[in-house]
Amino acid sequence: MNEFIAPTVEYAELSPLLIVLGAAVVGVTLEAFLPRRGRHRIQVVFTLVALVAALLATGWVAAGLDEVEGASGRGLIAAEGAIAVDGPSVFMWGVLLVFSIISVMLFAERRIEGGVSAFAGQAAALPGTEAEREASRQGIEHTEVFPLVLFAIGGMLLFPASNDLLTMFIALEVLSLPLYLLCGLARRRRLISQEAAMKYFLLGAFSSAFFVYGIALVYGYAGSFTLADIHAAVDNNTGSTNLLLAGMGLIAVGLLFKVSAAPFHAWTPDVYQGAPTPVTGFMAACTKLAAFGALLRVFYVAFGGAQWDWRPMIWVVAALTMAIGAVVALTQSDIKRMLAYSSIAHAGFLLVGFAGAYGGDGITSLQSVLFYLAAYGFSTIGAFAVVMLVRDPGGEATHLSRWAGLGKTSPLVAGVFAFFMLAFAGIPLTSGFTSKWTVFSAAWAGGAWPLVLLAVGMSAVAAYFYVRVIVLMFFSDPVVDGPTVSVPSLFTSSALVVAVVATVVLGILPGPVLDLAQQAGAFVR
Amino acid sequence: MTPELVVFWLLSVLTVASAVMVVSTPHVVHAALWLVVTLGAVAGCFLVLTAEFVAWVQVLIYVGAVVVLLLFALMLTRSPASTTGATSRNRPVAAFAGFSTFGVLAVVLTSGFRGIVLDLDSQPDQLGGAAPPERIGDTRSVGEAIFTHWVLAFEVLSVILLAALIGAIVVSGRVRDRDRQEAAAGGGS
Repeated sequence: MNEFIAPTVEYAELSPLLIVLGAAVVGVTLEAFLPRRGRHRIQVVFTLVALVAALLATGWVAAGLDEVEGASGRGLIAAEGAIAVDGPSVFMWGVLLVFSIISVMLFAERRIEGGVSAFAGQAAALPGTEAEREASRQGIEHTEVFPLVLFAIGGMLLFPASNDLLTMFIALEVLSLPLYLLCGLARRRRLISQEAAMKYFLLGAFSSAFFVYGIALVYGYAGSFTLADIHAAVDNNTGSTNLLLAGMGLIAVGLLFKVSAAPFHAWTPDVYQGAPTPVTGFMAACTKLAAFGALLRVFYVAFGGAQWDWRPMIWVVAALTMAIGAVVALTQSDIKRMLAYSSIAHAGFLLVGFAGAYGGDGITSLQSVLFYLAAYGFSTIGAFAVVMLVRDPGGEATHLSRWAGLGKTSPLVAGVFAFFMLAFAGIPLTSGFTSKWTVFSAAWAGGAWPLVLLAVGMSAVAAYFYVRVIVLMFFSDPVVDGPTVSVPSLFTSSALVVAVVATVVLGILPGPVLDLAQQAGAFVR
Repeated sequence: MTPELVVFWLLSVLTVASAVMVVSTPHVVHAALWLVVTLGAVAGCFLVLTAEFVAWVQVLIYVGAVVVLLLFALMLTRSPASTTGATSRNRPVAAFAGFSTFGVLAVVLTSGFRGIVLDLDSQPDQLGGAAPPERIGDTRSVGEAIFTHWVLAFEVLSVILLAALIGAIVVSGRVRDRDRQEAAAGGGS
């Protein structure tokens, strides 16, 4: 029998991932030993410190990436071929960690609920019972959300960087499981929150099953899980094409579910509405980024040689996603559902960039999608942060009619929200315009011009409902007993400031971030 | 027909027949017990296909843990033991979806894997490990693959389990009295 050869793991290159997952484990331990009173404060500080440390480590890793011989990318394959630490991975890690820091700041907000967080005091207490009232009277709260969100972030870091399908599947589970839980922990309107968690969990389990079945078929085709080997198998045309096509289709179902593309989008409005608003913002920015990263990696690296087979499918999905997102959003009367459909529409615009599959000179499809994700994430977290602030006595005032005339009663908050709406609509001088421009021009260069024309049309439809909100806020009369705008603590206000500044800067001076995305180069096999 | 093939066919028929019983029996508990037969027969199929480790994992996890969990869930939720609550008007649609999925998968799998024979003598390196395993699918080769090539995946799996554990505690755990008093003493801040 042969000797056991110990595996080599490049700990230095994986340090961001290790810091986040290690901090999650330490956070669980803190949860067990700290007294309840100081726990919230310590968990918040600890989580933020860990995320900042991981961000610094990402910068350090990014600075030290070597050129790969014979390829256009920089980076290396680490941990026995499980992880590709390359330019796109490091870019996504950096952006993900920045989004996570802002989201955790929203998680930590306690002032607007009157001294407690936005999460259920005691998730096990049935809604509307004495136990629940007791828990909220005593100010009991779940600080476990911080380790849980760190677990989710760890999975998101691993997901777009995984270099084989098995690691990718495990990363998908690591990022999903804590999210299912976090969705069900809203302090207000707990029944729809629990319904959202249930729905997300069941549908997510289905999509994971599709994903893993696709992996099995692709393994049957290529005889390997590694993306580079699958690429070689596709190029050499070994095996049965039926297996490849079916496998690609099933893997696409799993990934398109996570990016909430039609026709796998049905969970998005319900979950976005039911989940606690900080979690919704976190999901809309970070899950989308991680899932798009994984989608691009699988389809560009492993299935790049079969792109004439999958591009028609992505064209159809992209067109459908944009149309459903933009048109159905017109009929929504709840602000969180409207933002959910807007997020579906943006997934469609991102898929347009993906479908272009342009890899030549200038900005490639990959780089444009990365830039779009970075720009969109800031605005979407900001928009959900504003939703947190506008409140009725019973919680957030999410019905659109309640927002009428908000521009007259509290012009600052309404102005900030209107600014995010303009960014979503893609008005020049906001990040939405520059990001749409880069994605559409890359798609045009890739020959997807019919899709780009459709995307521009759908952007116009989407702009209609964004502008409708602005008109409602500034040109309607305020409702009697209208919602109040809470004054948030430093956490939410600084998160909002970061989101606004990023949206402005990426709109006026997109150069530096666009350069970063371009330096990210291409995926390494 | 080799003896292996005969055993495989018998186990396959048993799998399918008991799976039909799982979905057709009106008793939920009976369905769970038929599931034991299905999963056990699948474990037998794995064994014939030289995947001995997977076969025993199947017995331990699915027959041993999952079905027992299912029975406990039925017991604790006091679900009606003898009603046909699962039938609905969607049945024809569900049957159509099920059969068409079956058709597509059957076509794909047979066209993809028809005529592929596992050659036990030439020891192909299919697990991606550095050294070729002595035999495909035995515990030793699976173990070596897990702790060399798939070590990262293996470690991350433990993270999932920890997250699931914490999650289960969060959604089901009650706050202890001591914590209540502590929180009350803190004035709810």
